[in-house]
Amino acid sequence: MTRSIIKIKTTLLDHQIAKLSAIAIGLSLIESVLPSPMPGVKPGIANIITLYAMYRFNFKIAMWVGILRVFATSLILGQFLSPTFMLSLTGSVLSLLTLYFAIKLPSKFFSPIGLSVLSSFAHIGGQLFLVRIWLIPHASIYYLIPIYSAAALLFGFINGWITYRLLKHHNSI
Amino acid sequence: MKLRTKSFLGDSLIVLISLIFIVFAFKTFWHFETGSVVQVNFQGKTYGNFSLFQDKKISLIGKEGESIIEIKEGRARFARAPCKNQYCVQQGWIHLTGQMLICIPNEVSIEILGKTKAYDSLNY
Repeated sequence: MTRSIIKIKTTLLDHQIAKLSAIAIGLSLIESVLPSPMPGVKPGIANIITLYAMYRFNFKIAMWVGILRVFATSLILGQFLSPTFMLSLTGSVLSLLTLYFAIKLPSKFFSPIGLSVLSSFAHIGGQLFLVRIWLIPHASIYYLIPIYSAAALLFGFINGWITYRLLKHHNSI
Repeated sequence: MKLRTKSFLGDSLIVLISLIFIVFAFKTFWHFETGSVVQVNFQGKTYGNFSLFQDKKISLIGKEGESIIEIKEGRARFARAPCKNQYCVQQGWIHLTGQMLICIPNEVSIEILGKTKAYDSLNY
């Protein structure tokens, strides 16, 4: 019997995406075991990698990393296609969309910190919208907007600052 | 893509707008006001609306026995309940719009109403 070897041709780009995604997945998993004061209030440290990928490489790689991370993490945690996964996907897609436009802003004035804050607001905005129309179709969730916005600003700022430092370390400004 | 950030002007602007939004959100969505009326619901129907500024004791005889609702100095509470758990009694006084006390065994609930109806999770 002959053994057939299936070899997938990979490019350097694929390897780069895989490496970054692996780090992002690892960070997501670490985060998933950390206690959270409220469902949904999470630092979102994996977004550091998405943002880093976008600045260091390009938007396409960042998109791959962001989306792969959501799918892989949910498969590992057994949440694939569950509401948690849907929320996660919505948040990621919206924050990626925001980043796609935000990266066009003049980089002279806008650093990763600002972009991170914008993307975390887009993230939570999309999730709250999904919760409102699908999971809890009632106006009472508006009570949560102030808390989630405050968390978005805080964690968005911290993540952005970490990304900025990372880029400064690896790159020249 | 190289980082060319020379000033954090845009970032500061984003943070500032976010802060304004958060303050605005807290003011809008966390706005609690003192109620003026208590609505008493008994056996699935509205038993009546009573002013919170008129001290009163309401006695309702339900399936389990007698529930007593007390209204005093702009607040309302269950003074007595016939049930075993006494959850409604132990929750004490309520006075903000949207606040609610429920006695499920005896089918009595009270809710504080104001000028505008506050959001609550029970209508869902």
